[in-house]
Amino acid sequence: MTATALDSRARIGLGFPRLVRSEWIKFRSVRSTLWCFAILVVLTVGMAALLGALVDPEPGKVLQDAANRQVVNIATLSVGFTVLVVAVLGVLIITGEYTTGQIRSTFTADPGRLGALGAKAVVLAVATFLVSAVSTWIGVAIAVPLQAAKGVEADLADPSVFLPILGASVDVTMIALLAFAVGLLVRSSAGGIAITLGLLLVVPIILQLMGNLLGAQWLLDTAAFLPDAAGMRLYTYSVPQVDDASGTIVLSGWAAFGVLAAWVAAVAAFAVTAAKTRDV
Amino acid sequence: MIEIEHLSKRYGSKLAVDDVSFVVRPGSVTGFLGPNGAGKSTTMRMIMGLDRPTSGRATVNGQPYTSFRDPLRQVGALLEAKAVHSGRSAYNHLLGLAATHGIPKARVHEVIELTGLESVAKKRVGGFSLGMGQRLGIAAALIGDPKTLILDEPVNGLDPDGVVWVRQLARRLAADGRTVFLSSHLMSEMAQTADRVVVLGRGRVLADAPIDEFVSGGSGGGGKRTLVRTPHPDQLFTALGSAASSITPREDGAFEVVGPDAQQIGTLAAQTGAVLHELTPMGASLEEAYMALTKDDVEYRAEATR
Repeated sequence: MTATALDSRARIGLGFPRLVRSEWIKFRSVRSTLWCFAILVVLTVGMAALLGALVDPEPGKVLQDAANRQVVNIATLSVGFTVLVVAVLGVLIITGEYTTGQIRSTFTADPGRLGALGAKAVVLAVATFLVSAVSTWIGVAIAVPLQAAKGVEADLADPSVFLPILGASVDVTMIALLAFAVGLLVRSSAGGIAITLGLLLVVPIILQLMGNLLGAQWLLDTAAFLPDAAGMRLYTYSVPQVDDASGTIVLSGWAAFGVLAAWVAAVAAFAVTAAKTRDV
Repeated sequence: MIEIEHLSKRYGSKLAVDDVSFVVRPGSVTGFLGPNGAGKSTTMRMIMGLDRPTSGRATVNGQPYTSFRDPLRQVGALLEAKAVHSGRSAYNHLLGLAATHGIPKARVHEVIELTGLESVAKKRVGGFSLGMGQRLGIAAALIGDPKTLILDEPVNGLDPDGVVWVRQLARRLAADGRTVFLSSHLMSEMAQTADRVVVLGRGRVLADAPIDEFVSGGSGGGGKRTLVRTPHPDQLFTALGSAASSITPREDGAFEVVGPDAQQIGTLAAQTGAVLHELTPMGASLEEAYMALTKDDVEYRAEATR
């Protein structure tokens, strides 16, 4: 058989950059990815614009601190919804391969498996972060002048303002990776989405209820280490070590990032170990 | 070259592949036959590193498949149903595969052309017919221009043109010196394509032989088979006597004679004055040989479970 196209190239073989390129081609060529990102952009930009136009300051002179807090809140309020979108995306990106049989093609091309999975995670993380960051800052660009017209002049150069706005995209990215790891572990779209959304939405409420009902402070403290609570610290304006007199644990920004990273690493470790040895 | 050594795979209590050993050599087409559930697909998946053997090993071109730095260059595989995300186009699927090995885009176009997918290449795979899915699977298998090809039921769902095309492709790849290993449940297809067959039943190798040898060895009774049509059967068959090991009347009035060849029967007919309307040597078919072999397997199974 003629193979002219192959003869021209010096080295044909696997490499991590090539796997990333392959995963990028796969990532951008299915509709679920594009839909999730479209929803992410609309939610992020739309909510910032809407809140920027609708939220009014307290009457009287607006203090710098209050202005900063208000703009950070306006820019990041959508995160509570967008994390759910990327949770679905992160699960589907891998379970879609298992449910369609694509995974056999993927693991035939990279029988070591880890390279392909790593490349997929890199593509998911980079794409999610860029889309989230760009749409968040577009939202900021729309909301800031709207708020300034109402006398709310936030100082974007202040780290306590731009760090939480950036942190919103970090949170969204970490949740996407957590969902990816869950999806890899359970291999079923329905199961993966149920577990991830349950972890983000249901478990915190249960801990809260149980903690209050039983008067168990340790349950309330545990809730601070859940992915949603830890993630929220990444985009919250002005982080105190301890929020109020009740003494409930509140993580600092970096500690929260560490907790979130630990969640991702722990679930990913299980998932990758399983994926490496499982029959497909 | 594919080498299988004492390969076994257990799923729970079921031994799907049971101590299987055989070699698939380059430069020829080796057929892989066996009833459904015999372990053919499982064996192929273990060769490709997708399923882990319970024991034993499978190597391709001297190494385990998982150890290659250029796996798609070594082996191309079409394994059972569509192994493609249904939401992606055929072109993007192939492009994604090619990208893993730095295979140029021109090669993607080559395999699309080779498999006749030009008109549907940009369409989503979810809407493909079974035949189109098979062509895409074959395109994916060929993308790295591999030395070894493993095709599981490649003609499944193909139209007659497609069947002929796969047969010619397999012959051509083998003529290039490549190793071609393909499974099929269509015996006639295998008879026309394969040089050698490996037959699997209940996870065990029942036969591993060149196809001619397999067919003649499985014809039963060890003699020639001849179709005889005569208005004087009593006269002729009395004369044949013990030379024929069996004489079977057919529904159309003809007889299948096993034992003497056509020349002997014709001579006897002339000597006895029996009129012959037809005298046709019948080759034993692969199908019959296969049925005879797997029938024993079925009987063995029935006894074993009693």
